[in-house]
Amino acid sequence: MAGRMKTRMQEIKAMDAKDKRRFWKETLLNNSLYIFIVIAIIYIQIQAPGFLAPASIINIISLSAAAMPLALGVAGTIVLTGTDLSAGRCVGLTACVSASLLQMSDYANKMFPNLPEIPIIVVLLAVVAIGAIAGLVNGFSVAKFGLHPFIVTLATQLILYGIVLIYLMNGNNNGQAISGLDERYTSFIKGTLFTIGGTAVPMYVLYGILLTALMWVIWNKTAFGKNMFAVGSNPEAANVSGVNVNRTITGVFVLAGIMYGLSGFIEAARIGSNSASTGFNYELDGIAACVIGGVSFVGGIGKISGIVLGVLILKLIFTGLNFLSVSVNMIYIIKGIIILVACAIDMRKYLVRK
Amino acid sequence: MKKAVSVLLAAAMTAALVVGCGSGGDKSGGDGGSKSAGNVHVFYYSYSDAYISTVRTALDKQWEDLGIKYTDYDGNGTQQTQTEQVQTALSSGADLLVVNIVETGSDDAANTIINAAKEKDVPVIFFNREVSDEVVNGYDKCAFVGTDAAEAGHMQGDMIGKYLVENFDKVDLNKDGKISYAMFKGQEGNAEANMRTQYSVEDADKVLEQNGKAKLEYYDTSNPNKYQVDQDGQWSAKAAQDYMATALGKYNDASGNMIELVICNNDNMAEGAISALQTVGYNKEGGDKTIPVFGVDATDAAKSLISKGQMVGTIKQDAEGMAKAIATSAQNGLGDKDLLDGMDDYTIDESVAKVRIAYQTYLGEE
Repeated sequence: MAGRMKTRMQEIKAMDAKDKRRFWKETLLNNSLYIFIVIAIIYIQIQAPGFLAPASIINIISLSAAAMPLALGVAGTIVLTGTDLSAGRCVGLTACVSASLLQMSDYANKMFPNLPEIPIIVVLLAVVAIGAIAGLVNGFSVAKFGLHPFIVTLATQLILYGIVLIYLMNGNNNGQAISGLDERYTSFIKGTLFTIGGTAVPMYVLYGILLTALMWVIWNKTAFGKNMFAVGSNPEAANVSGVNVNRTITGVFVLAGIMYGLSGFIEAARIGSNSASTGFNYELDGIAACVIGGVSFVGGIGKISGIVLGVLILKLIFTGLNFLSVSVNMIYIIKGIIILVACAIDMRKYLVRK
Repeated sequence: MKKAVSVLLAAAMTAALVVGCGSGGDKSGGDGGSKSAGNVHVFYYSYSDAYISTVRTALDKQWEDLGIKYTDYDGNGTQQTQTEQVQTALSSGADLLVVNIVETGSDDAANTIINAAKEKDVPVIFFNREVSDEVVNGYDKCAFVGTDAAEAGHMQGDMIGKYLVENFDKVDLNKDGKISYAMFKGQEGNAEANMRTQYSVEDADKVLEQNGKAKLEYYDTSNPNKYQVDQDGQWSAKAAQDYMATALGKYNDASGNMIELVICNNDNMAEGAISALQTVGYNKEGGDKTIPVFGVDATDAAKSLISKGQMVGTIKQDAEGMAKAIATSAQNGLGDKDLLDGMDDYTIDESVAKVRIAYQTYLGEE
């Protein structure tokens, strides 16, 4: 590392004035996102002291951790030059299923009054399975029928929404929000992991980190991960070099579905009240986080660290602008500008290459 | 393997189709021979709304009991969708329209529906989401069944004020003689949300001042709106949870500026706020630290929270009562009578055919 740095420095020294100027300009542009974050954090901290207090930092991390699983899932589909519009509704369905199966046994308005106490792990596996099935339908349709993921998931999100609505009318629930969750479940998700300066860090932060690590391993250390990037950058070339393209595509969507299932499982307990609007528009935030973090629609490009960064930036915007008491209308505009600028900068790299 | 997958997929799709058809479409009940039998089309603004779903269940039951043929529609929160559904229903020969209009901000949408119904001489009953007096008065076969939107806000404010007067010292955590509050609004531009947001604070202030206490103070002095709104307009628990968690990052015990009161436009948002409070150790069952939280709707979830002392109060909207009033009025309409014929027991506005179902304060089972 130090050696590389040294040679780099020598290279810079060897450049003439014009090259040097260009080099610094490029570096500034390519790292503009980081620079922007640092400036934004400093500005918010000056305007609203307390932004960097432990309680606030833990909140930003918690919000990011909760948003991570979905972003990790949808990222894979973007690497394949696709997208997944069904993510939010899939989270909604799995959240409602998790909540309904893990209500307090003595809760007055229990959805299934005669339901015995189910072990948490069983419900977790059940919603992961639901997510996986939704992902399988998506992936299979994309791979087998050669449909664009936009179309496929546009269709499946409708189907999933319909199923959520039907599901909510089940038992004696009557379409009400599902809540009254079992203490075992809420403490498994929201319980205290450890405490920093009097502020509790919830358990789901740990799960967010674990899933991120798991996804990093899958993306970087497995044949499946390498195949995914190969298919994403050039499916024909991948096919020629012996990658089973269809199976890879299906796998990526199934993996995404599993992530949505986990996301739903976490969201259900985190929010505590689950209705048909749970998960609404979640996919848009997930996709935004990915593209801000450099997962490119060009295909075959993306890093887990980028996704983490993208999620963090979105949550920083949300909390920061709230700390500054900026009108919610502005949050939309600022989010939009950041997505646009981040992607434009990202795209420059590839345009230069061409 | 591939074959198995495709079989599975086909099976899943077929199943989805069967399920889909089973729950949608026409549901005809009874013999259809009686005088009141007719073809009623009911337009809900959104199936995803918890309270509206309870009205739907109650209303479906009313139709079935009365032997009236009915069709339900989901406007999915979009006026465009709903208007098209109404037009289609009229062209398919609807005898009566029951409309839970999506757009409450202006009269245009309601007038479009009224005009289309007028052409076919079909009665229209609006419910829950209020339309203006001019709309109702503009057509003799039009009525509105709902609540007095302002009433929920007034009652919530009154309830909060009374609670605070009784428990002022307990609620005033930092003993500065003022109560700092957070307000979560369900939707921007919705009349009910506007009124609840405004009156709940105004009326609470009134009660506090009468009793010589200081007015409520919004926790974030630099926010001129004095509320935070669900950006998606979904009145969702998630929005309240995210705002509350973020606010608690800045306003907490350690900083001596803890938010001392939470007011929500509905119970869903109250649940979200409570969930955020729980993450930092407040409002737990049997816990000693509780921030008073107030909502509206009296959902079962809220009732349960209130019974456990994790929430203080809510305002009950009577779904059954509303469904009954709509069904009675619809029977009148199908029988070619005045829509509000024989409904003298109900509270009806003086100059307009608007039936008001009363709200009730809910502070727990007596």
